[in-house]
Amino acid sequence: MEGNSERGVGVSNFNKHETIISAGIDIGTSTTKLIISRFSLRNVAGAAHVPRIEITDKEILYKSPVFRTPLQDAVTINVAGVQEIIRSEYEKAGIQPSQIETGAVIITGETATKRNASEMLHQLSDEAGDFLVATAGPDLEGIIAAKGSGSYEESGKKSSRVIANIDIGGGTANIAVYQNKQLLGTCTMHIGGRLIEFAQGKVRTISPPVEQLLKDQGYSLQAGDPQSAAAVKFVTVYMAEAMARILKKEVHAQDQVLLLGHEPNWAKPVDTIVFSGGISECMYRHSSDEEQAAQYDDIGIQLADALLNNRSLQQFTWQEPVETVRATVLGAGTQTTEISGATIQVAPHELPLKNIPIYQYDFEADLAAGLSNFEKAIEQAVALYDSAKEGQNFALYLSNLPYLGFRDVQTLAKAIVQIMDQRPRPEQPIILVIQSDHAKVLGQTLAALQVKQSVICIDQINVETGDYIDIGKILASGVVPVVVKTLTFHTT
Amino acid sequence: MNEELIQQITKMVVEKLEAANGGQTAQQPADEQKVQLFSQQPAGHLAAETPQASPSGAVTFHSTTGEAKPQRNIATVKPKPTTAFGKPKAEAEQPKEDHLAEYRKKTPARIGVGRAGSRPKTDTWLKFRLDHAAAVDAVFGEVPDNLLEGLGLFQVQSKVADKEEYIRRPDLGRKLSDEAKTTIQERCKKSPVVQIVASNGLSAKAIEENLEDVYLSLQQSLNNLNIEMGTTFYVDKGRVAVMDDIGELLKPDVVVMLIGERPGLVSAESLSAYLCYQPRHGTIEADRMVISNIHKGGIPPVEAGAFLGTVIQKILKYEASGVKLVQKEG
Repeated sequence: MEGNSERGVGVSNFNKHETIISAGIDIGTSTTKLIISRFSLRNVAGAAHVPRIEITDKEILYKSPVFRTPLQDAVTINVAGVQEIIRSEYEKAGIQPSQIETGAVIITGETATKRNASEMLHQLSDEAGDFLVATAGPDLEGIIAAKGSGSYEESGKKSSRVIANIDIGGGTANIAVYQNKQLLGTCTMHIGGRLIEFAQGKVRTISPPVEQLLKDQGYSLQAGDPQSAAAVKFVTVYMAEAMARILKKEVHAQDQVLLLGHEPNWAKPVDTIVFSGGISECMYRHSSDEEQAAQYDDIGIQLADALLNNRSLQQFTWQEPVETVRATVLGAGTQTTEISGATIQVAPHELPLKNIPIYQYDFEADLAAGLSNFEKAIEQAVALYDSAKEGQNFALYLSNLPYLGFRDVQTLAKAIVQIMDQRPRPEQPIILVIQSDHAKVLGQTLAALQVKQSVICIDQINVETGDYIDIGKILASGVVPVVVKTLTFHTT
Repeated sequence: MNEELIQQITKMVVEKLEAANGGQTAQQPADEQKVQLFSQQPAGHLAAETPQASPSGAVTFHSTTGEAKPQRNIATVKPKPTTAFGKPKAEAEQPKEDHLAEYRKKTPARIGVGRAGSRPKTDTWLKFRLDHAAAVDAVFGEVPDNLLEGLGLFQVQSKVADKEEYIRRPDLGRKLSDEAKTTIQERCKKSPVVQIVASNGLSAKAIEENLEDVYLSLQQSLNNLNIEMGTTFYVDKGRVAVMDDIGELLKPDVVVMLIGERPGLVSAESLSAYLCYQPRHGTIEADRMVISNIHKGGIPPVEAGAFLGTVIQKILKYEASGVKLVQKEG
């Protein structure tokens, strides 16, 4: 049969049990950790149905010890040091970077504000695996920690509970509030173990927000003062008190100094609190049998005590986390990957794609009305992400499409071709994310129109304007792993 | 009395009751596509068919909703679970009325519809009757000719004479009439790679609603993949295995049969695509495969068509379908 020699190319096997290896790396203010896990993917749809590929099992293959984050000086991360940790841990785990098919490296807390943070992050995500996503941002950090600590999962069990996960590490406390697995809000505070450091029983460093707090409250504390100074105790007690106020959304003027970014933005009262992160390890001692690397010589233990003994915090129901110090790394390694719909159309040679900003276009269930404003949407997307017309590509997210017949799909495809040609660099791939199950037919219709660009058309992923996505290489079952990096607050 | 009038009034009453209930039964999450799973308009020849609608005598309905166990509050004394700090954990959550709302979002099944005494509430009951009527209509309705003409499909008959016989004699639905054989021989391309056949099967409504979108999308998919198609036609009152007769006549590599599924109370317009590699007389059922649940509330017809193209591609690659395909694929 001539003309059909390429018939077998790109045929996907939906019923094969497939595994992918995921890495999570968390570079925090005090500590750096790494986790390697293996995901099992299966077709969970019945034999007579269109396949649906889901992650059915996650197995932790390797947990690194908790390392001190190597710093060159107060404002610079020791990149070589971090690379060395990753290299040696990969070796211990028996993993090559090329085997890592998904996952995330996250830079958290104060570390994210270091001078070379962003540069290092991207360098690491390239080196540590083919498709390792670089993420940062305090909101995202809180979200990932809540997933790793078990709070997110727990919130789905008893539908009425509003659970706040409070991940406190060396530099920041990241709060993420969930109910029924829906994110209600986030908040980040300057509360952490390393905000005052000691050496030989004396204060060595005080972080700027704490310095400001002490000044506001009429305390004085400086390097060289004894560890037992009243001001130190005051700071930890104040932090616990401020935490309780923020959780109740009572933001006092004097607490502003401890806020990083926006005020608490959840609409429902919190009833259960879960502490994760390094400070919660000081509370719960999950890893007490492990040989902890060193004494941290900072206010961490005192802060944990202050939180445990704070009366206002006792008004909430407390719940122990599944993971303490490793919550964020576990979240980064096992909770960031989503799997696209099984019927999609992607140009394999364009993948992986990293850091693609999303522009959402809402059809409001009306195709004709939606298409009449379609052109403006592309102008806005270009204005938003590529104002300098340097060719920053974006993904168009089509949501709330009405029920589509074949002729509607053709109309839509023609409109897409037309507007995509108006980008500053029209030859770039057309990247489409569709809320409903229409990716394959839309991709094929674009192919039938003989578009000159490559087409990446995936579906059944929920994103919105402001999100960034990374799309991994196509797997044997024909799906792609997708990591959505939510940098903005999600309303539901 | 006018049958259509009765239908209309029933519909109005149901709608009114639903509105009064704050859309309790018709609740749909906002982010889902708003589709009607089935047409609420009566279809088919109602007046003529109503007496025949229950061939086996009176239809009795079992009240499935009444079997839902009423929630009992059993007082149990449990030791209070405590955390590591001896703090009691959250007390049992207050009873929530919207507990079932979560489940309702996930299933179109009639759950938590309540009851009035030992029988279903009126709106539930009417809705049930309406859905049942839609199912009956789907079986006894006809595919409009202009749909087939619009797609350029000609029509042939199975050996079945009428709907009654179609239901009683599945074996006759699996055979082409002699006249059909002649027509197919005359009009169809021989030995195509893919032969597409449509049939009303047990739901004319499924063909009416979905055939065009599935067919056009599948056609495009095969064109893109450069896979040759034969001459598509429509078999009236066919069963799936009629593809064996067609296979013998035309010797295609793959037959795709788009056929209306037996209607249920959730959807009366669900379409299935049966696929088989070289179906011939004696083909066993394990060699056939199916993609089912193609309708507005299931897999969108346009997406199903696009997907079918790749399934055909796979069948051709492995020269097998059904269980054999799974085995060969490994």
